[in-house]
Amino acid sequence: MGAQAFFLAVFGLAAIGFGVAVFRTSSMVRSALALLFSQTAVGCMFLVMQTEFLGVLQIMMMATEMSIMAIFMVMFMMDPGGLGGMDMTHQKRFSIGAGVVAAGAAIAVALLADWGAVTAQAPDAAMQTRELGHELLGRSMLIFETAGVTILTAMIAATAVAIPVQNLASKDDKEVSQ
Amino acid sequence: MTVAIVLLTLFGSAWLLAVIEGWTVTGRLRPAAPLISGLAHLGRESIVPRSPDRVFFEAAPVLLLVVAVLGAAVLPLAPDLVIADLGTGALFINAALAYVLVALIMAGWGPNGAYAMIGGWRFLGQLIAYSMLIVMPITAVAMRAESLVNTAIVGSQAALWNIVYQPLGFVLFYIAAMALAFRSPFDLPTAEGELAGGVDAEYTGVRLAVLRLARLTLVVTLASATTVFYLGGWHGPLLPPWAWSLIKTLAVAVSMLLAGGYLPRIREADLMRWCWTLGIPLALLNIVIVGLLILVVP
Repeated sequence: MGAQAFFLAVFGLAAIGFGVAVFRTSSMVRSALALLFSQTAVGCMFLVMQTEFLGVLQIMMMATEMSIMAIFMVMFMMDPGGLGGMDMTHQKRFSIGAGVVAAGAAIAVALLADWGAVTAQAPDAAMQTRELGHELLGRSMLIFETAGVTILTAMIAATAVAIPVQNLASKDDKEVSQ
Repeated sequence: MTVAIVLLTLFGSAWLLAVIEGWTVTGRLRPAAPLISGLAHLGRESIVPRSPDRVFFEAAPVLLLVVAVLGAAVLPLAPDLVIADLGTGALFINAALAYVLVALIMAGWGPNGAYAMIGGWRFLGQLIAYSMLIVMPITAVAMRAESLVNTAIVGSQAALWNIVYQPLGFVLFYIAAMALAFRSPFDLPTAEGELAGGVDAEYTGVRLAVLRLARLTLVVTLASATTVFYLGGWHGPLLPPWAWSLIKTLAVAVSMLLAGGYLPRIREADLMRWCWTLGIPLALLNIVIVGLLILVVP
């Protein structure tokens, strides 16, 4: 238990540290990858807490998601390298207030909620995966399928919006799109 | 002890691959060449480009090597010769190899060079193309084994290897693995002669030596994954289990090197189009076929 608590704290602090680094840098790629490593540290916390499937899934998903986010941040920001001295923050007072309130609410939930008894022995990884599969394809199927179809619809809609309308495009646009 | 054996096998295989690669390029078989070349890199000046992102620049080659080794850590050489036989082993290897992308983006962005950066971002597009063709064939493999444990996956192939049971999955996985290892014809991030080395371009000296070792190790890890998922892992007559794993892994790795040598480099847009319009439907078909086989054949 001692070692488990120690590593949980180490990865927790790493997650917070990288989380802070996201806002301390002006480089978009550094910011995105700091967020990635923050999420990876959360995945490692899952592993320490013996929820192997969730941990590995978190570590896997975040690598691609945050990398793709990085290229979008580079594409859309005016100063992606952060070398132009542009101030990336705004609405500071409101942000600090909102951050303090949200952190307070999260801590209050953590301390006040009745989490029930701590499980003495976690089931082994293979059993957890099996039970998770039954949960996803049983009781929670409707929720996850709805979420999945919604995301797919959004993706198709976003792609459809992004494709230029060929008939109305001028000659120059056509050349660029080709 | 297991860790030492697996690491020795991994790096030994990487050395052998380097020897064979040199043989195919120069026509001379020189077993000491990779070691001499590696030592020479250590002696050379390791240049740091002007105003780099120093953290990314230094971390990228090491991260690439670490993820290749981590991926190999869950792949069994023999029933009891595996560093970590995780309950989610087949998923873990995806998680580890997803960081190949992160390492290449870091290697691309870090040196503050145009060719490197284009190479790094190119690999992001490459991942969008190949990633589904890594995950979906593994899904079909796990379906047959009814487990994500890699030793169980090898166990499920005792009677019939997956290359026979699901050949479509094997072909897709093999091609996607070559794209993941960014070997020719999928060497878009490095692209000699087009991007002047791409992500390799700004690396010299010891950093380049680590990067080259990492790339070879990645090929061995992926060849080992192909062996575990499709070629029956350690199963085979006469020889001890570890020997079969090693022979198959090396055969797959060498075949990847040789196959790439005879093919022209594919265009980024073509790779993505073929992967999404042809590869993914075929991968889905593979899952359906395997599902039917599992239900119909006892």
